[in-house]
Amino acid sequence: MHRFGASDRALALLLLALALLALLVLVGPVLIVLLTSFTTSQALRFPPPGLTLRWYAELFDPLRSAQIHKAAGNSLLVAACTALLSTALATGAALAIARSRAAWARFAEGAFLAPLVLPGIAFGLAALMFFSWLRQPPSFALLVAGHAMIATPFALRTVGASAAGLDPALLESSAILGASPWRGFRRVVLPLILPGLASGAFLAFISSLDNVPVSLFLSSAETDMLPIRLWGMMETALDVRVAAASGVLVAVAFLLLLVMDRAVGLVRRMAG
Amino acid sequence: MLTQPAPASHAAAPPPSGHRLDMDGIRVRYGQSIAVENVTLSVEPGEILALLGPSGCGKTTLLRTVAGFIRPEAGQVLVDGAPVQHLPPGRRGVGIVFQSYALFPHMTAAENVAYGLEARRRPRAEIQRRVEAALAAVRMEAYAQRRPAALSGGQQQRVALARALAIEPAILLLDEPFAALDRALRLDLQMEIKRIQRRFGVTTVLVTHDQDEAMSMADRMAVMRSGRVEQVAAPATVYDAPASPFVAGFVGTSNRLHGRVEARQGAEYRIRLDVGASILLPGARGFAVGERVLVCARPEHLVLCDAAMETPESWPARLRLSLPIGPALVHDVEAGATEMKLHAARQGAPPPPGPVRVALLPTARPALFPAGDEA
Repeated sequence: MHRFGASDRALALLLLALALLALLVLVGPVLIVLLTSFTTSQALRFPPPGLTLRWYAELFDPLRSAQIHKAAGNSLLVAACTALLSTALATGAALAIARSRAAWARFAEGAFLAPLVLPGIAFGLAALMFFSWLRQPPSFALLVAGHAMIATPFALRTVGASAAGLDPALLESSAILGASPWRGFRRVVLPLILPGLASGAFLAFISSLDNVPVSLFLSSAETDMLPIRLWGMMETALDVRVAAASGVLVAVAFLLLLVMDRAVGLVRRMAG
Repeated sequence: MLTQPAPASHAAAPPPSGHRLDMDGIRVRYGQSIAVENVTLSVEPGEILALLGPSGCGKTTLLRTVAGFIRPEAGQVLVDGAPVQHLPPGRRGVGIVFQSYALFPHMTAAENVAYGLEARRRPRAEIQRRVEAALAAVRMEAYAQRRPAALSGGQQQRVALARALAIEPAILLLDEPFAALDRALRLDLQMEIKRIQRRFGVTTVLVTHDQDEAMSMADRMAVMRSGRVEQVAAPATVYDAPASPFVAGFVGTSNRLHGRVEARQGAEYRIRLDVGASILLPGARGFAVGERVLVCARPEHLVLCDAAMETPESWPARLRLSLPIGPALVHDVEAGATEMKLHAARQGAPPPPGPVRVALLPTARPALFPAGDEA
């Protein structure tokens, strides 16, 4: 058996320290925001002098937080539409790419994943200029289109992994048994890639929900988005409702993640 | 056929009249390379035809052309004399069992078998009846509610066969159906599938690279090489009278002995072998005196003789090794640079390695080719 020497132990300790540091940087701020959201103070300050639920009550008050509610409604609607559109796009792309060995398929895959590395600010500005060149005023549809550009790579990753695992002989079996392509898609392909589809939709939804750069350029007064609204509230007054809203967002995302992981093993899929 | 109630009644029923399949001048090209070159083959009603050949010989491409997954550059596929070229795979009356079986993993065995019937929009009661009959025919009725993952390889294969047969295809295509199975299981399943195929009387094309499988399953086999058919005949004919040195080498073991035609004696040729012997062989084709020839002798065509028994018909060699294989003994022999394998019945202890003589059995009829055919 291998015996651990002093240097091995030192390395293990170093790795452990790094892991703890990473965890602290990742989770620490979230915990601070969560704690601050329960503060009795009038300002965003840490540590809170006492704990109360009043900021949550105020956040959910339909009169005093009407603008936040409108922005949240917009954001949820855009995120839902983005999730649908991105997943549909990703499904078409993933199936075509998985079926083809041609060079164009590899190129298309790269092109579809490009928004992952493209700076969001640059894309947001480009999208705004492009749409105004087309003489299209900012609108809900354009906002969804912009979000879908950013969110599709996330969906493509999980749907693509599912589609790549499909045996091409399954569709050939379906065809030779007399099923139409649509029937084959509905009865064979869709059920088999459904976990990837659900994971992809979830990732697209979340990435749209907290997207700032695209919303910054493409949203208007009509389509006020939650992250933009929260940022505005931070700038004008250090409103504690921002912390409460963050708390709600973190809780919702975490709950969704738990549900999705239970249903389709999301964490495993994202790692793959 | 499927709707008949009990298996026992099948034996008494007249054999169902099958359908005829013709491949007429099929040519398939992938980019610059030709995968299938001008293949014309007929499969008689109810017959099993094996497409046999090494990987890349075009046998799977030909099968996929019949199924309709590949559009040939030239030629036609005909079922009962009618071209099916314009029909999509699902409307050609063809069933297929893939090497991977390609069962739908999220459906039970019964749902898999029902898939083709549902696609054809048959009434619910008929679907249920035919699914039960198809699963019973492959003896899988007890596993109807299992998913493929809960079935063994052999069981999955039988469900795949039931799924292909449930739509009552005119033609059944089997693409390397035994390749994924343990060797020990194969013979049982080969016999089982042949029994089922006989009962349904369905015209069948079997693609395989395994000569034993082709031998045991097929009524006739087409040996393919580089996109062409080298020989089509009953398995015994292919073995006893191979059409080319390639066929002789691919189907069964073949000892290649080079020589020269010394003289013609009636319908027979006297051949001087390079290993140092003179033998008399009948030749199907005409050979000129002095022509270089290739004799492809089966291991059972040759016998081991005592080194002291010098005759003009035998040649000196060296026994390297004798291996007992079942009831037979396989001798590994070399004569100069020529290596040979000999089969003999196993009697007593194997002879010790050392100098021996090898002779052709007087009754043996090894295949004779012009030396130029060897490639």
